[in-house]
Amino acid sequence: MKILGCLLMLVIVIGIHGCKGDTDKEGSLTLHFKGTYNGQPLAMFSTKPFTTPQQLQFTHLSLYVSDLVLLDQANTVNLSDIELVDLSFDDENSADGGFAIRFDHLPPKEYSGISFGIGVPPDLNVKKPEDFPSSNPLSNPVNYWLTWNSFIFMKTEGRIDTIGNGTFGTGFAYHTGTDDLYRNMQRTIPLSIEEGKNKDLDITIDYQKVLDGIDIKINPQNHNPKDSIQIRMLVQNLDDALKLIQ
Amino acid sequence: MIFFRKIPGTYALILIVCLGFSQCHDTIDVPGIKDIDLTNIPYTPVAFVPDIPNGFPALEQPADNLMTQEGIRLGRRLFFDPILSVDSTISCSSCHKPSESFTDNLPMSEGVAGKTIRSSMNLLNVGLEYNGLFWDGRAASLELQALEPVENHIEMGETWENVEMKLRRHPEYPAEFRKAFGIENSSFISRDLVTKAISQFERTIISGGKTRYDRFQRGEIFLTESEFNGYLMFFNTDPSLPDAQCGHCHAAPLFGTTDYFNNGLQESPDLEGFADKGLGAITGKLGDNGKFKTPTLRNLVFTAPYMHDGSFKTIAEVMEHYTSGGKNSPNKSAFLNDLHLSESQKADVIAFIMTLTDSSVLNNPAFQNPF
Repeated sequence: MKILGCLLMLVIVIGIHGCKGDTDKEGSLTLHFKGTYNGQPLAMFSTKPFTTPQQLQFTHLSLYVSDLVLLDQANTVNLSDIELVDLSFDDENSADGGFAIRFDHLPPKEYSGISFGIGVPPDLNVKKPEDFPSSNPLSNPVNYWLTWNSFIFMKTEGRIDTIGNGTFGTGFAYHTGTDDLYRNMQRTIPLSIEEGKNKDLDITIDYQKVLDGIDIKINPQNHNPKDSIQIRMLVQNLDDALKLIQ
Repeated sequence: MIFFRKIPGTYALILIVCLGFSQCHDTIDVPGIKDIDLTNIPYTPVAFVPDIPNGFPALEQPADNLMTQEGIRLGRRLFFDPILSVDSTISCSSCHKPSESFTDNLPMSEGVAGKTIRSSMNLLNVGLEYNGLFWDGRAASLELQALEPVENHIEMGETWENVEMKLRRHPEYPAEFRKAFGIENSSFISRDLVTKAISQFERTIISGGKTRYDRFQRGEIFLTESEFNGYLMFFNTDPSLPDAQCGHCHAAPLFGTTDYFNNGLQESPDLEGFADKGLGAITGKLGDNGKFKTPTLRNLVFTAPYMHDGSFKTIAEVMEHYTSGGKNSPNKSAFLNDLHLSESQKADVIAFIMTLTDSSVLNNPAFQNPF
């Protein structure tokens, strides 16, 4: 019995060691999506200067991030098809921490960059919320606009004080959507995924730049097709507003 | 083996404890009430296949509570039975009457100890809501939702222990639970099975495909000019018409989203000042204060008065509230502004909302009181 017991213990120890070894041979990556305003963490309901004398308070910021891929010289590693990133944080500390998405079991190596889409790619955008189970980020009908036959890719909502007297009387809401406003963001950045370690990568979106050139007072919303110039401008601004920081 | 020989007392103790646990279930020791052996009653449940309208989301059932004909029958009976309340006066159906599209037409519902703090919610398509139930979203599932009213001192004022006891000694319920869930003994009747049965029934309350809007969507009918104008403004489809801002929260096909909004019912200079914090009281998140679940607009005509506080008696009053922008607070929905809709445009939007009416559900025999 003693020999049998020892053998059993040996098998268990080897098994545990083997599992640990597999984990150690992989690394992980955590993406921290952060909303900022003029480079500072962006908390909801805090007052931000806009075109003088106007001031803003944001109330809701979210976006779909899709087709997340780690780039390599030889091939790519798919991270996720679709994520709903909510940047509506109540305080600056939470905003500074950002919306984190962790990807485990990544082959350790030097990657050359990352690629992702802002919005819902056309192959998914032909579907509707009811086509997805409730656990899927695309299942909520609040993120679909029937008139466009499209998911709402990005929501930027708040209230504006148009005369600078501290009364935020007008709501503004910019929602992007439809296939032609889907944007792929590819960034070349050396990313070293190491065995048994996590790599952190910040992806910041500066909403001062996102709203650059948009006359909120005149066009506070964009759901009407006549306002599409506003959201085209907003989507163009994304390229400059988005930064990757290691 | 040496280990076993050295401390037999320890293992004997563990064995006793394990045997003790294996004998445990939710039984009650009530003098004069005998457990009833139910094994002579056949347990042959028949799976229920829900008829979900085209274009609706799938009905997701918990793996441990799949719908059966027997479970639904039991759930319906429990839904209408005041046995769940302390004085046998209030049932689920007291506040959720089928004839009123599962509301009660009161600003605040009446319980055993007076008025509740919020208005009763329409249960149409409630099984398709997956992001919290109650106005403040505090219940994650129908099963968890059904637990609360029984022990709420205003609503039913009962204890689950008493409800279990009443059901176990009831002349008919033990057999019903046996048929629905296969219990071997009446002592196995529990709050868990009660809420599962009620949830199964509630998941059958589906309404869709029969309204004028649904038929319009299928291309079977045309809407009237007024209804169609309302449709265009509801979904902001025509640039020449104002946006009535309805569709942002009341999204098709259910015309209620699974989200929560501050719809301008409460004035507050800051995020702390809401008399009823709603979702914020549950999540603890400041930005959620004053937010409430978006109810469905299907069968709205039957569910007055409106809002979580029952403050509007008519749909016209609701329309007036939304088109005027509501009361101010920092997290008021960005879509609530003075909309500058004319009286005829407001009437058009209401006419469109009326196309969401399905009166057949009110008289559906499957949803009526079985007593």
